[in-house]
Formats: sequence, C-alpha cells, structure tokens
Amino acid sequence: MIKRISNTKYYLREVSTLLKRDLSTNILSILSLGFIFFIISLVISLGISSQFMIDEISFQAQISIYYNENFDPNLIKDELKIIPGVNVINYINSEEANARMQEVLGSDKRILELFDHNPFSPYLEVFIELDQLDEIVQKSKDIHGVELVRDNQEVLDKLKNLLNILTVLGVFIFIAISVATLVITAHIIRQGVYINKEAIATLKLLGAPSYFIYIPFVINGIFMTLLAGIGSVVLVYFSNSYIYSKISGVLPFIILPKFSALILTLVLFNGIISIILGFLGSILGIKTTKLK
Amino acid sequence: MIKSRELSLQYKDGTYGLKNVSIEIPKGELVFITGPSGSGKTSFVKLILGMEKLTHGDLFVLDYNMKSITDKELVKLRQSIGPIFQDFKLLDGRSVCDNVLVGMRFLNIDSGTMYEKALIALEKVGLSHKVHSRVENLSYGEKQRVAIARAIARNPKLIIADEPTGNLDKKNSIIIFDLLKSFKAEDTTVIVTTHATHLIKDIKDSLHIQVEDGKLKYQEVIND
Repeated sequence: MIKRISNTKYYLREVSTLLKRDLSTNILSILSLGFIFFIISLVISLGISSQFMIDEISFQAQISIYYNENFDPNLIKDELKIIPGVNVINYINSEEANARMQEVLGSDKRILELFDHNPFSPYLEVFIELDQLDEIVQKSKDIHGVELVRDNQEVLDKLKNLLNILTVLGVFIFIAISVATLVITAHIIRQGVYINKEAIATLKLLGAPSYFIYIPFVINGIFMTLLAGIGSVVLVYFSNSYIYSKISGVLPFIILPKFSALILTLVLFNGIISIILGFLGSILGIKTTKLK
Repeated sequence: MIKSRELSLQYKDGTYGLKNVSIEIPKGELVFITGPSGSGKTSFVKLILGMEKLTHGDLFVLDYNMKSITDKELVKLRQSIGPIFQDFKLLDGRSVCDNVLVGMRFLNIDSGTMYEKALIALEKVGLSHKVHSRVENLSYGEKQRVAIARAIARNPKLIIADEPTGNLDKKNSIIIFDLLKSFKAEDTTVIVTTHATHLIKDIKDSLHIQVEDGKLKYQEVIND
C-alpha cells in the first residue's frame, strides 16, 4: 500500500503522458461526456425544482371559503375553528383579494383596471393540514352560509403527476446516460491501453503487477469524467441562471428553490457520479481489452 | 538456477521452436547461446521469461516450475530477472532515469534507495551524464545501455539478454558485451543470445551453447 502511494507522482505523470499521447481524441471525448452530464444536470434541476414547488405548496396548503355576504363571517370562522386539521383562519376583504391578484398578475395587472368596480368578493383563507384536506373541505361545505370552497388539490395532483413523469423520465435518462458514459469511458481507456500496448508488454516482462500497470488508466478515466462533470456544472450554472431570471420576470408566482442550493446539489451530484462512472468505465475498458 | 529436461516448444502450426533440449545453467554463470536466425535462441528466452508455455519436458527457472507456474508466481519470477532485448523496449516520452526507475517502482524499495540504485546503474553503463535526456533522443548504443541499466539496477538474480547487439555496430557491441561480462563478477547469472560469435569467442570463463533447428548442437566451457 505504501508503495502504491509513493508512486502517486509517477501515476500522475503517466496520466499526463496518456492524455497528451491522444490529445484531440481525449478533448473530444471530454466534450461529449460534458454534454451528456449537462443533459442529466438539466433533468435533475427540473426534478429538484418540481419537488420543491410541491413541498412549498403542500407546506402552504390552504383553502378559500366564499360565503353569502349576508352572513356574519365570524360565525362561520367559529364553526371552522372546531374542524380538526384547521390551523389558521384569516379574513380577506375584497380590497385585499384585489391587491393579491394584482401581485400575482404582475405586469398584466392592468387587466383589472378594465373593471368598473372591484370584482373580488371577501373570503376566508384557511390554512390546513394537507392530509386532512378532503374531510375539511366536506365539513366546510356543510357550514350554513358557505357557498363555495376552493382548494388547490387539482393543481397539487397535476404537479405530483408531473413529478412522477419526471422521476420516471429522469431514471430512464440517468440509466441511458450512465450506460453512454460507461461505454465512452471504456472505449477511451481501451484505446489508451491499445496505443500503449508495447509499454504495457514491457512492464509485464519486468514483472510489474496489474495494479501498477493499470492505475494510470483508471486515474485517466476518472479525470476525464470529472472534468466533463465540472464542465457540465459550469454550463448548467449559466443556463439555470438564465432560466431563473426569465421565470422571475415573466412568471413571478412560480416558486423555485434557492439558486445556490440547486447549484451546490448539482456540483455534489455531478462530482460523485462522474467519479463513480469514470472508475467503472475505466475498469470496464481495461477488462474488455484483449492484449496478448 | 535454470534446468531443463527434454524441453520442447511446439507451435500451433506443428513446427518446433525448441526440441528436446536438456540443459543446466548454474548460478553465477555467464552463458552465450549462439546459433543462426530461427535456431531457437529466442524461443529459449521466451520460455525462461514465461512469454511462451512449454509443450513438452520440464523447465525450472529460479526454482519455479515453468510447466505449472501461476500468473502470480510469474510476476514474482520476472521481478527477479533483468531482461534486455534487441529492440531495447524502453518507454518513449520518458527520461533515461524514469526508464531505469520504472523497473523498480513496484518492488519493495524505498524512493531514496531506488534513485540511488538508478544512478549507480547509469554510472556503470556510462550514462550518468544523460540522466534527464529523453530516451528517444539517444543513439541505439545508448538506448541499449539504458536497457542494461534498467536490468541491473534492481539487482536481479538472472540477467537475460536476447540479441542485445542485434541493432548495434561493432564498437557498441563490444561495449555491451564488456558490460554484460562484468556482471558475472557480481555473482549474477547472465544469459546472452547472439549470432555475433566472432565477438564472444575470446570471452573467457563462460559457457557457450550452440543451438540449431531447435536442438542443442553442443556446449563448451571456455576457461582462461
């Protein structure tokens, strides 16, 4: 083990020799791997953002209760309070309802100026436990004076379905990309082994053990996939910051995860995956190279 | 050291590289194996280095039975041998020193001793002034001396040189034979295959073996 560590400098020098020996092919391979990792990073970004959105919506689960304006909202409020799963109840008057919609519409809020009078009715905003949504909605509807109970279950279900599709798609893309990365890395390493077959034969004649001969090839594989992984994170950083700036300008009501947290997740994910795939691809390349 | 009994190497096409060769090479001997091209000299070297598997008879190299040697044992055996080849088999793109060091990196030698051994070996072959030169920039004679330095630096029990002067002129060939001869004094067994009989006929204290058509023709000891 000590001998293996003390040869670190030698291994790194050999990696440099391997890279230089077939430089153009290696650069093209790193670029190809970089684009592959970029695709997976985008899919992961989408998955993380969707999950974040669902979590946020679930956390802020609320229903809106519209009532007959001839009824006293405080009486309705009192009856709502005793339903299990109801946390907070806020009275939203028509002016505030209007102001909230203006905020949601952003630059399109001018559409509300077309109305002669405020089109929004007062309502009760009820924060609830999401898992008790169905019972709360049913019991709220039964309260005298309640005309409409609006929940965001439909939106939530659609988002959950979208996330499920994304997850399945993501798993498929991940498998496909992993296989592609393994094949590309294995091919590069196989090519490297083949180009250096005479040097390998010499080392074998000198009695060099397999680990000594092949460690530089494994480091080379890991180095290339890691470089591709880092490159993809740089690409995804710029593309995601563009997407974030577009979304916050045009669709301000869409809740996105913190940009820095998203990038950090991608850096960790790409780093670990590229090392694992680089290692496995190199081993596969070495094992499938037939040298006499 | 090396012992063979009715040793044969038959290729897949039915031809023989070696046929019924029985030979015994004691420790510390300087041995010249001569014969024309295709006589079986290189086949013998390949069998000793485990590059070919014997098909008949027995061969023992440094107590390893080459008939049943495992991959792990073969690695160990090769670590005890200093091989020298006609085409040098140096690693291009690396320095002279790196080429000498590479033969020791996987042995149980600490870095300081390894460098010391490399420098001593390079001094012995007269290349201490070219430690950092790239091997591809050296002459053929120098390249072969680097190969010799690589072989001797790790103190092998056996040096085996296959046509070491095959690519060299007379002057360089004499230098190489003189070097190989000097290792006998260090109690190392040295086996050299060559067809340059005119250059070795005067080398004393050596065993000369002649092979022809894969068979042992004669062996004689040349003494002072």
